Amino acid sequence: MRLIALSAAALMAAGAVSAQSDGGSAEDFPTKQMTYIIPFNAGGESDLSARFQQAEWEAVTGHPVVIQYQPGAGGAQAWSQLNQIAGDGYTIMGINLPHTVLQPMEGSVGYETDDLTPVNYFHYTPDAIFVPQDSQFETLEDLVTYAGENPGLVTFAGSGSNSSNNLAQAKFDGLADITTTYIPFSGTGPSITAVLGGQTMAGFNYATSGVNQGEELRMLAVAAEERLPAFPDVPTFTELGYDLVGGAYRGVAVPDSTPEELRQRVSDIVTEINERPDFIEKMETNGFVLTDIGYGDMDAFLEEMKAEYAEGAEALGIGG
Amino acid sequence: MDILGYLWGALTPLNLLFAAVGVVLGTVVGALPGLSATMAVAVLVPFTFTMDPASGLIALGAIYTGAIYGGAYAAILVNTPGTPSAIATTFDGYPMARRGDGGVAISLATMASFVGGIVGALALLALAPPLARVALAFGPPEYFWLAIFGLTLIAALSVGNTLKGLIGALLGLFLSTIGVAVVGGDVRYTLGMQSFLGGIDLTSAIIGLYCIPVLIDLVATRDPHLKSAETGGLRLGESARIFLAQKVNVVRSAVIGTVVGILPGAGGSIAGLVSYSEARRSSDSPERFGKGAPEGIVATEAANNATVGGGFIPTLVLGIPGTPPDAIILGALLVQGIKIGPTLFADEAGIVYTFIWGLLIATVLMLPAGLLIGRYAYSTVVRIPKAMLAPTVALLTVIGSFAIHSNPKDAQMMVGLGILAWGLARYGFAPSPIVLGLVLGQIAEQGFVQTYLIGNASGRIAEMFFGRPISIGIILAAVLTLAYPFVADRIRRRKRTVETAAAAPVGGGGVPEAADDGQEGARDLGTPIWAGLLAILGVLALWGAQGMSAMGSVFPTVIGAALAVLSLLLIGLHFAGRTAPAEATEGESRVRRVALAVILALWVALLSVLGFLTASILAFLAIIVVADYDRPAPRVWALWVVSGVLICIAFWWILADVLLLRMPSGLLI
Repeated sequence: MRLIALSAAALMAAGAVSAQSDGGSAEDFPTKQMTYIIPFNAGGESDLSARFQQAEWEAVTGHPVVIQYQPGAGGAQAWSQLNQIAGDGYTIMGINLPHTVLQPMEGSVGYETDDLTPVNYFHYTPDAIFVPQDSQFETLEDLVTYAGENPGLVTFAGSGSNSSNNLAQAKFDGLADITTTYIPFSGTGPSITAVLGGQTMAGFNYATSGVNQGEELRMLAVAAEERLPAFPDVPTFTELGYDLVGGAYRGVAVPDSTPEELRQRVSDIVTEINERPDFIEKMETNGFVLTDIGYGDMDAFLEEMKAEYAEGAEALGIGG
Repeated sequence: MDILGYLWGALTPLNLLFAAVGVVLGTVVGALPGLSATMAVAVLVPFTFTMDPASGLIALGAIYTGAIYGGAYAAILVNTPGTPSAIATTFDGYPMARRGDGGVAISLATMASFVGGIVGALALLALAPPLARVALAFGPPEYFWLAIFGLTLIAALSVGNTLKGLIGALLGLFLSTIGVAVVGGDVRYTLGMQSFLGGIDLTSAIIGLYCIPVLIDLVATRDPHLKSAETGGLRLGESARIFLAQKVNVVRSAVIGTVVGILPGAGGSIAGLVSYSEARRSSDSPERFGKGAPEGIVATEAANNATVGGGFIPTLVLGIPGTPPDAIILGALLVQGIKIGPTLFADEAGIVYTFIWGLLIATVLMLPAGLLIGRYAYSTVVRIPKAMLAPTVALLTVIGSFAIHSNPKDAQMMVGLGILAWGLARYGFAPSPIVLGLVLGQIAEQGFVQTYLIGNASGRIAEMFFGRPISIGIILAAVLTLAYPFVADRIRRRKRTVETAAAAPVGGGGVPEAADDGQEGARDLGTPIWAGLLAILGVLALWGAQGMSAMGSVFPTVIGAALAVLSLLLIGLHFAGRTAPAEATEGESRVRRVALAVILALWVALLSVLGFLTASILAFLAIIVVADYDRPAPRVWALWVVSGVLICIAFWWILADVLLLRMPSGLLI
C-alpha cells in the first residue's frame, strides 16, 4: 500500500519534471506540484512549520508540495545556491532571520543578505526565558535581582553562539543592566535538556521549545508583542518593562530570476495558508507566532530587521 | 485499559503489514551507506498524515529500527558502516567476512540486533518515565567524559602501534573542528572555502575512510573480495551456539545501548563503541578483538539497536528527541495534533502503547526478515564478479556521500579523505582512530567548553569536571579501559619472550599484519614523511587558532600542539628503529590502483558538470575495465555494460524521485 503510494508519488514527480512550464499567467499558478526546500535537517522548527503548511498546500493551490532537505552550514549551503534554481516559481526555499543577516557578517558564506529574495515571512518563534520547575526564580524580577547581586552567576543555556538566543541574551543583559553567562549548546534539544536537568540556572530558548515540557518548565517571559495563546499566563518582556521583541523569523524565498507577479503569487499562497483555521490552531498550540509580512511589505521589514541585528551583532562582537 | 490490552490493538493485519514492510525497507536503506533512517523516515512522513496515528508511527518506527540493523551488512561485507551506528561492527565483521565467516557474522549481527532491539523497546514500554531522568542527569561534564571514554578505545584498537593510533585520533579531532563552531561561533579552518563551512560530514568521512581503501585494494589483485565459505549460507546452527555463549555480553551491551540511547545527542555510534570497549575489556582473549572476534559484533549490534527504544524515551516523555529520526517522528506526531510531553503517556495511552508494541513487533519481524535479506546479500557479494562488485560499491560510496546533504562537495570530500586514508593505512595509520576522533571531537569540545563556562560562572571549575558522581564513574571506566590493554600486552609479551614466538601484534581496525623481518623499518620512508606532514598540519592548526575567540581556540590549540609533538616523536622513534614496520605489498597492480583513484576523483569532480547520471554511468563503465582480470567474452561484456547502466539509472531514479533529493544538473542529466 505504501509502495503503491510511493510509486504514485514518484510518477507524479517524474511527470512534474518532464512537463515544461507552460508560461501560464500568475493567476493560474501553480499548474503542477511545487518543491519546497528546507535548508535544515528534518525535525526542527523550520521543518515542522513547513509540514504544517504542507498539510494545507493542496487545498489552497490545487496541487501538492514536496518538501526536500538541503541542510549544511546552518542553512548557508542552500541559500548560497538559491539563485541558481530556475525562477519559474515551482521551487521555493525556506529562509530564516537572523541567520541570513548574521551569517554574511561573520564571514564568507557564499551569499550576501541582499542576494536573497524572501517573499513572505509567515511566522516567528519568540525568544523566551525558561527555568526548571523547582527553580528559585518565580518571576523575571527574581532572576534580574539575583543576577544584579551576583554578576555572571546566572547561566543561560541557548542554541548556538551568535544565534537569535544569543542575541536576545546579550540584549536583555543591556536592557536589565545585568551580566549573565551564555552557554551555547548544539541545538534546541540539548539546550532544553540542560535547563530541565538543572545543568544551567535558566535557558534562553524559543517559546516553541517549552510546549512539550508542560509543568516541568516555567516560562518567565516571552519576547512577543502579545501574550501567546499557548501560554496565556506568561507575561511579555514588554509588559515587564523590557523592550525585547524578537526571535527567529521564518519565511519563503524564491530565486532572484523569479518574475514580480510570481513572487507576489507565492507570497499570496503563503498568506492564504496563514489564514486557514486548522493551520492557525496547530501553529499557535505549538508556540509559533504568525506574522503577515507579505511581498509588498518585505523591503521595509528587512531594513528594520537589518538595523536591529546590526546593533545586536555589535554587542556580540560579530563582523568587526 | 492495561498495557497488555494495547497489544491487541497493535496486532491488526494493517499494522503488521506496516511493521513488516517498514523493517524490510529500513534494512535495505540502512545497508546502503549514506542513505539514512532519517532520510527514509522524512520521505514517508507525509503519507502518515492521512493514516491512523498509531499505524503511521509503527511504520516509521519499523523503518528506523530496520535501518539501524541494516547498517551491519555494509560494515561486514565491505568494511563500510551503513550507518554511523555500525562503526564498531567493521572492526570484527569485515575480518570475519574476509576469512570466509561472513555468514556467521551476519547471523550474529541479526540475533544481537534482535535482542538489543527487544531490550530497548521493553525499557521504553515498562520504564520510560523513570529512565527519562537519566537524560537529565547527564550534563556537559558527563558528555565530555563520555567522549573521552570513547577515545580511550584507541589504545585498545592500536596495541603495539599506540603512537600512530593517537596521531590518527588527533587528525580526526582536528577534522572535527573544521567549520562554524557551535561554541564560540568562530569560523575555523575553512580556508575561505564555503564547502568547509558546514564542517566535515561524519557519514561521508566514514564512507571515504573505510570504503575507499577497501575499493583501491580490491582492484589491485585478482583475489576474490571475500574468501568464500566452505559451507555456504549463514551457518545458523553454529552462529546460534556462539551467540548463546555470549549471554552476558548481549545483556550488558543492550543495557549500555539503552542508556546511551536515552542521552540526546550521543547516539548509536557511541553506544556501539562503548559496549565494544566493555566487551573487549571483560573478554578472556582481548587480543582477538579487531581481528574477527564474534563478541565484538554481538556487542556493537546489540547496543545500537537498543538505542532505538532508548532514544524514544526522552522523545516521548520529555519531548526531547534523542536522535534525528526521533525528531522527525516527533514532528509527525505534532502534525497529527498529538501533544508530546510528560502527559502523553496518560492522555494518549492508546497511541503510545500501540506504537511501543508495534516497535516490539517490528523488532521480532526483523529476525526472519534480516536472516532472509542477509543470506541474499551475503551470497550476492561473494558470487558477484569483481568487475561488477567494484563499480557497484564505488557507486554506493558516491551516492551515499552525496545523498546526505544533496551536495556534490560531500562526495568530493569523501573521495579526498578516502585516498588520504589509503595512503595513511599503508604506513600503519589505521582509519578507526581517525573516525573516533571525528565522531567524538565535537561532543568532547562542546562538553569541555560548556563545563568550563558553567564552572567559571560559579567559580567551581574543578568541582564541575571531577566532582560529579556520574562523571567519576565514567572517568574510572575510562582509566580501566586505558590501562587494561597495556597490562595485558605486557603480560603477553613476557610470555612470548619466554616462548620466543614470532609475529608481533601490529595494527588494528582490519589492517593486515606485517611480516616482522627487521629490514622493513629501514626501507619504510612513508612513516616519517607522513609524520612530517602531520607535524606541519599541527603547527598550521596552532597558528590558525591564534585569531579565534577564547572559547573557540582551546581545542584547536591543544590538538595542534599534541599533533605536532607526537608526530615529531614518531619521526624520532622511527629513525631510532623503534616503530612497528609498515605492511609490505607484493604482486599488486599499482596501475589499477592509481587508475581507480583517478576515476573516483574525476567522477566526483564532474558530478555537477556532466550531471549526476552521466558522470556515474561513465565512471561505472571505466571501473569495470579497471577491476576486470578475466577478459571475458564480448557477450559477458555487453551484459556488464547493460547492467551497469541499469544500476546507475535505478539508483538515480531512487534518489531523485523516491527520496526526493536535489540532483545536480550539468550539461546532461
